[in-house]
Amino acid sequence: MRRIVVIGDGMVGSRFAEQIVEADEGIHVTLLGKEPIPAYNRVLLSSVVAGTKSADLLHIAKQHPRVLRLTGVAAATIDRDLMRVIDSNGRSHPYAELVIATGSVARVPAIQGVADSGGLIDGVFVLKDMADAEGIVASAGRARRAVVLGAGVLGLEVATGLARRGVVVKLVHIAERLMERQLGWEASAVAESGLRRLGIDSHTGASLARVQTTRGRVTSVRLEDGSEMLTDMVVMCAGTIPETTLARNAGLVCERGIVVDDQLATSDPHIRAIGDCAQPPGGARGLVAQGWQQATMLVAALTGAQVQAADTAATADVVRVKASGMAMVAMGVCGDFDRADPRYRVLSLKDPEGGRFVEVVVSGGQLVGATCIGDADVAATLSALYTRQLPVPSDPAQLMIKALAGGGAPAATRDPADLKDDEKVCNCNTVTAGRIREAVADGCSTVKDVASRTRATTGCGDCTSLVEGLISCHRSPSTSPAAVAAVPQGA
Amino acid sequence: MTTPQGVAAPGTAPGAAVATHCPYCALQCAQTLTPTPGGRLPVTVTGRDFPTNRGGMCQKGWSSPEVLAAPDRLTTPLLRDVKGGALREASWGEALDLIVGRIRETQERHGRDAVAIFGGGGLTNEKAYALGKFARVALRTPYIDYNGRFCMSSAAAASNRAFGMDRGLGFPLEDVGGADAVLIMGSNVAVTMPPLVQHLAGVRSRGGLIYADPRRTATARLTDSGAGVHLQIVPGTDMAVLLSLLHILIDEGLVDAEYLAKRVSGYEAIRISVSAWWPERAEQVTGVGAETLRRTARLLAAASPARGGRGAYILTGRGMEQMASGTAAVTAAINLALALGLPGREGSGYAPITGQGNGQGGREHGLKADQLPGYTSIADPVRRAHVAGVWGVDPESLPGPGVPAVELLRRLGAQNGPRALLVHGSNIAVSAPNADEVKEALMRLDLLVVADLVPSETAELADVVLPVTQWAEEDGTMTNLEGRILRRRKVADAPGEARSELWILAELARRMQVDGFSEEPSAVFDELARASAGGPADYSGVTYARLDAGEQIHWPCPASDDAHPGTPRVFLESFPTPDGRARMIAVEYVGPRDDVRVEAPVYLVTGRVLTQYQSGAQTRRVGELIDADPLPYVEIHPSLAESYRIEDGALVELTTARGSVQLTARLSADTRPDTVFVPFHWPSSANVLTNDATDPTSGMPEFKVCAVALRAVVVKEEVGA
Repeated sequence: MRRIVVIGDGMVGSRFAEQIVEADEGIHVTLLGKEPIPAYNRVLLSSVVAGTKSADLLHIAKQHPRVLRLTGVAAATIDRDLMRVIDSNGRSHPYAELVIATGSVARVPAIQGVADSGGLIDGVFVLKDMADAEGIVASAGRARRAVVLGAGVLGLEVATGLARRGVVVKLVHIAERLMERQLGWEASAVAESGLRRLGIDSHTGASLARVQTTRGRVTSVRLEDGSEMLTDMVVMCAGTIPETTLARNAGLVCERGIVVDDQLATSDPHIRAIGDCAQPPGGARGLVAQGWQQATMLVAALTGAQVQAADTAATADVVRVKASGMAMVAMGVCGDFDRADPRYRVLSLKDPEGGRFVEVVVSGGQLVGATCIGDADVAATLSALYTRQLPVPSDPAQLMIKALAGGGAPAATRDPADLKDDEKVCNCNTVTAGRIREAVADGCSTVKDVASRTRATTGCGDCTSLVEGLISCHRSPSTSPAAVAAVPQGA
Repeated sequence: MTTPQGVAAPGTAPGAAVATHCPYCALQCAQTLTPTPGGRLPVTVTGRDFPTNRGGMCQKGWSSPEVLAAPDRLTTPLLRDVKGGALREASWGEALDLIVGRIRETQERHGRDAVAIFGGGGLTNEKAYALGKFARVALRTPYIDYNGRFCMSSAAAASNRAFGMDRGLGFPLEDVGGADAVLIMGSNVAVTMPPLVQHLAGVRSRGGLIYADPRRTATARLTDSGAGVHLQIVPGTDMAVLLSLLHILIDEGLVDAEYLAKRVSGYEAIRISVSAWWPERAEQVTGVGAETLRRTARLLAAASPARGGRGAYILTGRGMEQMASGTAAVTAAINLALALGLPGREGSGYAPITGQGNGQGGREHGLKADQLPGYTSIADPVRRAHVAGVWGVDPESLPGPGVPAVELLRRLGAQNGPRALLVHGSNIAVSAPNADEVKEALMRLDLLVVADLVPSETAELADVVLPVTQWAEEDGTMTNLEGRILRRRKVADAPGEARSELWILAELARRMQVDGFSEEPSAVFDELARASAGGPADYSGVTYARLDAGEQIHWPCPASDDAHPGTPRVFLESFPTPDGRARMIAVEYVGPRDDVRVEAPVYLVTGRVLTQYQSGAQTRRVGELIDADPLPYVEIHPSLAESYRIEDGALVELTTARGSVQLTARLSADTRPDTVFVPFHWPSSANVLTNDATDPTSGMPEFKVCAVALRAVVVKEEVGA
């Protein structure tokens, strides 16, 4: 028996625990989770805020006889010498391997009045865990106005979610563009007008100076430029910070996150770190797909199990906003990059009126980046193409407007008079329009006649209306010169 | 209900028209064959009204009499005296003596397991049964399997696991016509089973046909003009679509909670297992937009009985089953159907669409490595005792389970593997994945016996070739895609000395001093019925007399005093599982095993064309079918072709990790720009390239998707260059 202790029962820690006990029957896992509930789908918390997802549908924790799951129990210290973790109840958990998956915490900007000794004041929120989401939902039920600070992915999702609940939202963002890491100037402008249509005002290049309260309740915020906004609540979506406290206290090498190598090992070979708390050589992206892939890789590293062909989307840096009423996706080279860079071929489609913006960046025959707002189908095509590095058409413009549509007109709408003689009418029996015209000219006057002569319509029957059309074209040849011309002489 | 009018039952005077069914796919369209003495062809064919095909037939059915008179039809046994030498004609006596002598020699030297049988899903129930019995009683080898492993094994494994039974469609096909939504995953029915499309008219008129395919096929076009939705997915991601649809149903509170509580076990684990498939994530994997996924889920929910709809069906085909995670993918489809409360309810359901003519019956009577007649386990002592009793042998003498097809083929001629192989009704040199390696394995054998109608690519490698009868030349039964037992009837004599497999097996057994093999189809059927008694696929109440009287019987049909009517709709009361509930089993999505990468950046998908069937051994011998599609080809999106400078009609080299072929390019915007399509009916085409990685549960190979590199053999001139 080999005991692995996992600190953090989040999306990544729980997946690791569940996978490793499946991969090796000799492994037992102790999973410490500081929240009162077992692992849930944190990515969808913004959908709980939007009311498109009910909180009890987020649970992902699977029971397993070899996973000891402790909820409401935080790790207090890591004793590396004795290879054990002491939890918040003072109990000791010895480990052969320790996996830190503590995730990240919300960054709380230094704004006057957001917090007191008891933490964030009433009416001010971050969105990091289920309790936050529930607090926001409860507050939104009473609020008429809300200020959302930060227009990153989460900020946009929260802003649109609150708007969906009928709250009047103002979005305050310190950078000059919305989602400035993903969106360039034009894309940001399109996104801004899209938000306006949903009733959300954006204030870019702005930040909060203080939150003002009256009798313990948030009433307004004051911006750095001195202006004031009335509001009943404030949600801060100002980014996250890797949760490294335990690791630092244990003397592990940390920079922004806990530094790990390709095998996800920290500076202590018996301690690994995965998910948002870790800082791998290629950098952390803060996306759950990366954490899940690390979990799978670590299972392989610790058990020697084969890594199954992973979800190809996992490694890709595709950012998809789950905003109600706004499709937005950005990947790879995007944001404010050098569009004159000779390595790149950049194409863009701007349709501010239609709330649409599409930009693709091609380099060496591959899609290396894209931004798409307001066209869900194109967004889906681009992310599928980008994550798999599939070939790009020599004219990349084809990717920008419903790339996969095309093909001929549907059979039902084809006009029988316009059919060329060599065009197939009955696919099931390979019967062309010419052969049917021949049969009609020879005296076949009903579909049944044509069927017994040519077999047309006897398969799926879908061409029956076309055959009827070809028969009636023949009856009134004046309206259909093609039909007359098609009758072979002496056939 | 459909007693053929003016059509003679068998045994009537020669010259009378006979009611039978098409030789090809599992739809088994009803035909009337009329003998034409002195004509170029021995019979003429017309469609016959029947609940499944309603008188319709595709071009393959209409031209089926051509195969009876194929110019290279085998009419006499052939022997090859030395490896690499030519085949020469022989008498039946000489050929059968030689086979028995060589089998005896091989088994004496290398043990009983040194002989194997490979069967086919086109064989009648009687032949499938007789082959299974021959393996277990005469050869006493565990090594028997069949090409149905390439066809239905994933769907069968998943259905058995979830429902306790696998009957293809557990309802008459006609029922589909009344539904408000039909989701078809991985089955291009408009091309593979055209007359089936008639049953989709109702759902199309209500805008409820949902179809997933990387290509805009003829079936995809059926969704045009408001008739439904085409999900043009990234190849190999069908399962992710299904997981996401279930996620949405749960999320929006659209599952049938009452049904789940009453008729299903395992829902809680499923709920958790799909929580990671929120539509925005699925979008990235499948290439289908999140909103489209939501719309699709809502459409299905609105059609479900729990929400007052007329009903919904989920139908799967080889496109999602012929994958190394095919069983898991089908399980995902079943989970979705169960969440919607569809299976076991009149007017709704889940079903795999069986492909081969007798793909259903073939998997019920003992052609599979692990099964005995009645669709029962060869490891089950109770069933072993029962079947051994019918066969008059000691249960201890029956071999245990063998290995599935791909593994069987891999072991041929290898260390401790079989050294002699009998092939019936299958052209494995063309139809198996990684076909070049299969051919090498066949060449390693001490003895290869192939029974076939025509000199197929596999027959050409054989030491002994046995000419056999085909559909219009024999009596028997077939079980169609809806578990309906059909009579195949003889109308013409076989040419030359072609004989039925039943006769061949009886003659071989006689020479081996083994009793109990009849050449009479009705006698074999009666024995099959007894052997199946008590199994899920219980035929014991079925007789030729009942079928010939026009009765429509779906199994199970146990023997009873008052003639059990059969079971058109299954699971209405409960599921044949120990607790009577359907089982939901959590499954994880895994992408294609051989996924795109820098050296092979394009997806290859494989499939069928309308005018060809399986390995083409029959249909490549019919002039009008060959005229329609003379050669294999590769379908490429114009924009992809342009980036490789490939012109329409030009030769393209396709290379995968297994092999390389050159094919003619057919440019079409119907496929995704990242995906090429190659039909598999020809030798030296698709299956030289396909992946022989297999499903851990079903043994199904990953035919449907792999990564391929393209190269223009002749590069298109650049304009102005």
